[in-house]
Order: sequence, then structure tokens, then C-alpha cells
Amino acid sequence: MSSPTTTEYVTLVSYDGYEFKVLRSAACLAGTIKRSLDPSSGFREGAENRVSFTNINGVTLEKVCEYLYYNQKHAESKDVPDMEIPPELCLELLIAADYLDV
Amino acid sequence: MIAGRGRQRIRPPRRGLHGEEIDFENTWAVIESAFREIHTKNASRLSYEELYRHAYRVVLKKKGEELYKRVRDFEHGWLSNEVRGSIQALFSPNLLASSQAVGGTTANERRVAGEKFLKGLKQAWGDHQICMSMLADVLMYMDRVYCQDHHRPSIYTTAMILFRDDILNSPTSDVDGREVLELLNHVILDQIQMERDGDVIDKHLIKSCVHMLDSLHQDDIEAEDQRLYNASFEAAYLDTSREFYRLEADLMLRDSDAGAYCRHTRRRIYEEEERCRSTLLDVTQPKIQKVVEDELIKNRIHELVEMESGVRFMIDNDRLDELNLIYDLNSRVDDKKAELMRAIQKRIVEMGTDINNAAIAASQAPAPAVVEASDKGKGPLPEKSLNQQTVAAIKWVEDVLALKDKYDTIWDKSFKQDQPLQTALTRSFADFINSPTFPRSSEYISLFIDENMKKGIKGKTEMEVDAVLEKAIILLRYVQDKDLFERYYKKHLCRRLLMNKSISNDVEKQMISKMKIELGNNFTLKLESMFKDMTISEELTSGFKKHVEGLGEKDPKRIELAINVLTSMTWPLETMDNGDDAEGHRPRCIYPPAIDRIKRGFEKYYNEKHSGRQLTWLGNMGSADIKAVFPRVPQKDGSFKERRHDLNVSTYGMIILLLFNELPADQHLTFEEIQAQTNIPRTDLIRNLQSLAVAPKTRILIKEPMSKDVKPSDRFTFNEGFQGKFVKIKVGVVSSGNKVESDRERRETEKKNDDSRGFCIEAAVVRIMKQRKELSHQQLVIETLNQLVGQFKPEVGMIKKRIESLIEREYLERIEGARTDSYRYLA
Repeated sequence: MSSPTTTEYVTLVSYDGYEFKVLRSAACLAGTIKRSLDPSSGFREGAENRVSFTNINGVTLEKVCEYLYYNQKHAESKDVPDMEIPPELCLELLIAADYLDV
Repeated sequence: MIAGRGRQRIRPPRRGLHGEEIDFENTWAVIESAFREIHTKNASRLSYEELYRHAYRVVLKKKGEELYKRVRDFEHGWLSNEVRGSIQALFSPNLLASSQAVGGTTANERRVAGEKFLKGLKQAWGDHQICMSMLADVLMYMDRVYCQDHHRPSIYTTAMILFRDDILNSPTSDVDGREVLELLNHVILDQIQMERDGDVIDKHLIKSCVHMLDSLHQDDIEAEDQRLYNASFEAAYLDTSREFYRLEADLMLRDSDAGAYCRHTRRRIYEEEERCRSTLLDVTQPKIQKVVEDELIKNRIHELVEMESGVRFMIDNDRLDELNLIYDLNSRVDDKKAELMRAIQKRIVEMGTDINNAAIAASQAPAPAVVEASDKGKGPLPEKSLNQQTVAAIKWVEDVLALKDKYDTIWDKSFKQDQPLQTALTRSFADFINSPTFPRSSEYISLFIDENMKKGIKGKTEMEVDAVLEKAIILLRYVQDKDLFERYYKKHLCRRLLMNKSISNDVEKQMISKMKIELGNNFTLKLESMFKDMTISEELTSGFKKHVEGLGEKDPKRIELAINVLTSMTWPLETMDNGDDAEGHRPRCIYPPAIDRIKRGFEKYYNEKHSGRQLTWLGNMGSADIKAVFPRVPQKDGSFKERRHDLNVSTYGMIILLLFNELPADQHLTFEEIQAQTNIPRTDLIRNLQSLAVAPKTRILIKEPMSKDVKPSDRFTFNEGFQGKFVKIKVGVVSSGNKVESDRERRETEKKNDDSRGFCIEAAVVRIMKQRKELSHQQLVIETLNQLVGQFKPEVGMIKKRIESLIEREYLERIEGARTDSYRYLA
């Protein structure tokens, strides 16, 4: 196992090669990401602090990241403003959300 | 909503997330090999995302059930083939031997083998947990979608159940039918037993195994109380502990003393508490605590308390620490501490009865001492024995106080000032002090105070005096029949005042004010008025003196008179004479003319000041100072001169002596002559003659024949050869001091007491009825008892009799036709 250090940021990679550096705390809102990075399990992702998704494209992943931050930001506030979601992304986002356990 | 946006169309995902058909077998092969890697701890080469995606796809393809089953089978296979083998490899002969019989292997070998086994099991369990949590992570999508939809337990739970079934519930060996779980329990218990025997064991290790048991359940329903820990281990633990402590209690009770037993028990309790914290689970603590308490305390407390070295021994030897332990232990199992309380009460009553008996014995068996004394030919016999009784009385009080001190210390130091126990102590004290076989407590306490007033407080500081008085009050608190005490106290106080025996009036008053606080105003009213009488009498005396001087008749032979005028209602004068004069009237004593004159003078003076009052002269209580001249008579030591003595004698003594004044030296008077000339009551006369003619130091008269008893035929002459060491001689009248009553006197006192109680009861009944007008019999009795509780505890029969008498005298009437017996007050 290479250095299992936990960094502040983790990298999320879409299948079409876009990389997103995201705050670990935000990324871990997604159950799948959280589990893949769990240092106690010691999967490859955990060691590299990098998760690649072979079934999510860059646009969707970007929206996912946006949502993760959005969620973290408003986690404890009330009267949260709606998040803009383009309708054409809806279905893919839904699937991604299901996959990522958000 | 989205559709309402019009032209914008929701496009299907561009690339098949669940794209092309996947081959389940191939995918499973990938997953399975990955799982193997995980189990062999090679996960770092695996991509979580990839595995997750595979599982995700399988589930999306509705193959969730297949996958679930495969995973379960895989785990089952892994556990039964790999893990079980490694666990079985840990079974050593020592370990297995330990489970059958203790013989053959040493504790140390057993401990090492046991620890090895526990370590292996813990390792296997830990690995299984980690692997399964990783597997569960990978299979998260399956858990979320498939398991929830189909109400299956999550894969993690399933795997844990598999661990239970395949490892813990597997037989230890082919021959031995026992399961690993059973062995595990046994090993843990064995280890704990070793610790109890003083070994050091790996608590942490056991704790982790215990945690394993705690996280597994007996069946698949996972009810809270069906954890393996509760269902399998804890019960066994409690059972073995119970057995262990039962045997230990047997052993301890047989081999060691109660103190050691208590200390040991307390240590055990702490140990078990500590064990639950460090080795087992906290939930067990109250249970094991109860087991220990049951076995070591509850079932044994009786034996423990009754042991030869039990409570009794501890009390007798002031083992405060041990008593504290017992108290502590008993209060664990019993809020009321009934056993301890019972033992203590029993001991108090025992000790109290001992004191009572000792006092009775001391007062009733003065015979040998007296025989001795009379052999030596000393002192008059009755005085001796009476003194002895007084000594017994004082000793009784002091013993009781010592006992009280002792128990107060115990209560304070050992019983944490426990309230119910204090009540019990008080009750026990009251029990033996008021015990019907020992009716003298009131009298003894009063005597004790009397003694202290007369002698005891001499040379003591105020503080000490106060302490003594306080003690007397404490005892008084226990006494039920306070009226009896009042009667005695009055009598004793009366003697003290009239004979000037009291050392300090201040202390007397202090005592009375103490009693006032304790027993209320009513109680001390008469005592206080006794003091008032004394003061008034002093004034009267000096007034009379002036009056006489004012008359101006100078008489060289004038007799000075000091007088005490006593209110007959407040002073217990009737108790002062000895009840001989059953006729009821006091025979008038004939005073010599010189005395008679001054007596009349005072009567006249008094009647001038207070008209309508009748004075009755009580010769038996006064005293007189006489100057006596003894003529020149050859002495034993050859001296030949006149001697003058100031004689302090009782009034009667003075009257007797004055008779001899007028008698020629060689003449004598018989007893009957003296009685005829003076009219002194017979018993008083005997006593006075005894002190004048029998007591060796004050033999002013010579009696013929010489004997101790005074008989009517005895003759008396003036002892011209009398010789005294001092100029002033006090002629004590036999039995003039305060002392224990004889039985006859006691009956007398009790009878009088009963009479006055009768009045008290009647008064109380009338008071109650006046207020209530109508009342049922039962209630009336209760209220009467309540009213009188501060004075004495009347018998119900007596109350009944009094009510009858009140009805006869038409204070009350029965209410006709009432359902219960009721009375109405007749104004």
C-alpha cells in the first residue's frame, strides 16, 4: 500500500477524461465515493486519492460536483435557494445520483 | 414540470450505463477473485469503482438475488474451509483438557492455551469484520436496491450470521460434540476464574471476544436480548459465578472471622465491578453484582451477623471498621438493614438487661458485704445496704450512659448516621430502660441526678456539669413513665432543698430549665414552685428574726428559728413520712416548752402576714444545732475536762436530747417513756435513737442492752463520757439521705402514681370531650393516649375505668343507639 495519507482534496475523473479536484469532505457526501476512499478498506482509490468513473461523463460529473458543494454549503441553513438543473441532464444526473448514492 | 418546459426533450443517456449485455458468470468471476484478494488482504490493487460498477451492473440486470446467493456461498465456503481450519489448529490438548477436567494441566498452561485460542478467534473475527465491511462497501448497491426491496438482511449481517454458524457453532472436533462457542465461553470463564484466583490475564483480549459475542445474535431476528453474549455467555457466567461465590462463602464462613469475611466480600464486589468494566460488558454489572450480593451477603448475612466473631463480637470489641463494613454490605441488599438492625437491637437489649440485672443483683444481694461489715462490728447495718443500693442505682445510670455512648459512636462512625438505625437504637434503649422486669429506671435516673447534685459536681467546671446534666436528660428521654420520674425527682429535690444537700442552686435551676426544654412547662411547674417556696421561706425567716428582735425580749437562751414554709400541693410531703401512720393524720409531736414557745411565736407572725393559712409542723424534716456540754468525766486517755460540742441533729433528735437535759445523770429513760413524752412517730423515733445511741461516732446516748436494734424495752442514759474528735458533730439520721426505695415504699409510690395518673387521664378525657362534644370510644382512647404521651403511657384498661367513672359522675353519657360505642359530653 502506497502512502495512505488522506489529502484535503480528492480527484474525481469522468470517463471522458475530465478531472475535478474536490474537497474531500464534500466528495464524501456521496456514499460510493466515501466508501471507495475509506482508508480502512485500502482500495486503490484510497491510496491514490483519485476515483475514476467509467460510466459518468464530464458534464454530469461537473453537475454532481456542483451539487456536492451546494449540499455542503447549505447543509445547515434554511430557505435554501433552488439549484439550477438543466432538464436535458436530468436523467443522467438521476442515474449518476443512484450510482453514487448521493 | 419538466415536460411542461416544452420543446426541451429529455434525452436518453448517451452511453449505456447499463449498456451491452454483460455476462454474469464472467462478472462474478471478476468479483469473486477480487473478494479472495480482499480476504487475503491484497485490496490495494483493486479498484473499488470497478468492483462497485460490476456489482452495480449485476444488480441492474436483476441478477441481485443470484449475486446475493453467490456471495453468501462464497463466504460460507471461505469460512468453513479457511477460517475454521485455522481456528481448529488452535485447539491444543491443554485447551481441550481444560474444558473437561482441571486435572492434569496447570493453570498456567491452561491460561496460555486459552489466550492463544482467544487470540486466534479474535483475529479471525477481526479479519472477518474488516473484509465484510469492504465487501459490503463493494456490494453497497446490492444492499441498497436488492436487499431493501426484497427484505433481505444486508450482506454484512448475513456474513456475520455465517460467521456464527460456520465458526462458533461448528463442533470443536469430530469426537467432541461441543461447539466452538461453548469452548469459547468456557475459556473465558476459565480465565476469569484464574483472575479471581489471583492470576493476571489479558483483559483486553477477553474484552474483544466479549464484544464479538455481543455483536452476534442467537437467531436471525436480532432481538436485543438474544445477543450471544446475553443468551449464551452471560448466563453461564452468572451461573458459574454464583456457584463460585456460594462455595467461597461456605469456605469463608467456616474458616475466617466476620471482619475478614466483610473485607473479602467488599473486595469481591469491587473486583466484579471492575471486571465488568475492563473485561466484560457494563450491562452485566448489575447482574453480577446481584449474584455476588445474593451469595455473599443476602444468603449469608444472617450467619454472618450471628457468627462468633459477628456483630456481637464487633460491638463488644469496638470494631468500628468492621461494623461499618457490615453496615455497608447489609445496606446493599436490604434498604432496611433488617439483619443488622435486629442484631444490634438484640445486643442492646441484652447488654441493657445485663445492666438491669447487675443493678438488681447489686441492690438485692448486699448480704455478704453486710455480714463482713457486721463481723468487724462497724457501722449500722441498714445504712450500709442502703448505700449499696444507691451505688447500684448510680452505677446503673453510668452503665447505661456508657452503653449509649458506645452505640452513639458506632452509629456515628460505622453506620453513617443512618436514620432508621438510629430509630432502632433509640427504640432498643427505650425497650430495656422501660422493661417491665426493671421498674426502677425513673428512680435511678433521679437518684443519679441527686447524687451528682450532692457530690458529683463538686470541683467540676461548668462544661462538665453541663455534660452530666445533659446525659441525665438523654436517659430521661427514653423513659416512658415521665410522671413517675417527676414524682421521684420531686421527692429527691425536696430532700436536697430541705437538708441543704444541694451544692449549687444554679445547677439545680439549670437542670430544671433543661427538663423544661425537654419535657415542657407542665412538667417543671411544680419543681419551680418548690424553688419559689424556698426563696419565700428565706424571706420569712429573716422577717421573723427581725420581728423577734423587735419584740425586744432578750433571752440568753433564745433559740433561733429558720423556717421553710412549703406549699403542700407542690411538695411531695406525703412521701416523706414512711406511710406507717395508716390512720392518715399526723400525730402531733410534743415539743419541749422552749421550742414550743418560739413555734407559737412564728405561727402568730405567719398568720399576721397570711391569714387563713394553716401551718403544719413537720418535725421529721428539720434539723437543729445544739450546744452540748459534757461534764468532767475521766476519759480513756486520762484527760479530765469539760468538752463542748456543737451537735447538729434532726429536730426529733433535738427533742429527744432535750428530755435528757432535765434528767439526772444516772437516770434512764425507756423507749416507751421517750415515745410517750415526745409523741414522735415510732419509726422516726427508732431511727433517731439509732443514730444517737448506736452509731459509733455519735453515741451521745447509751443504750441498754447494747445492740443494733432498738426495742421498746430498751433503756437510754446520757453518755457523759462521750468523746468526739471535732467540736462540730453532725448526727446523721439513719436513712435520711436519698436512696433506693424498699419494695414496700415502691409499691406505695406506684400506688400513688397510679392515683395521680387516674386524675391525669380523667382530665385529659374531659378536655377532649369538652372540645369534641361527641366521640367514639376508640377515638377517645387514641386521643387520650396522644395527649398523655409526654407524661406516661396509660393502660387502656385504666382509661376505660376512668371513662366509666366519669359517666357515673355524669360528666359523660353513652350515646344510645350509636353503631359504635360513643360518648357525649355533658356540660
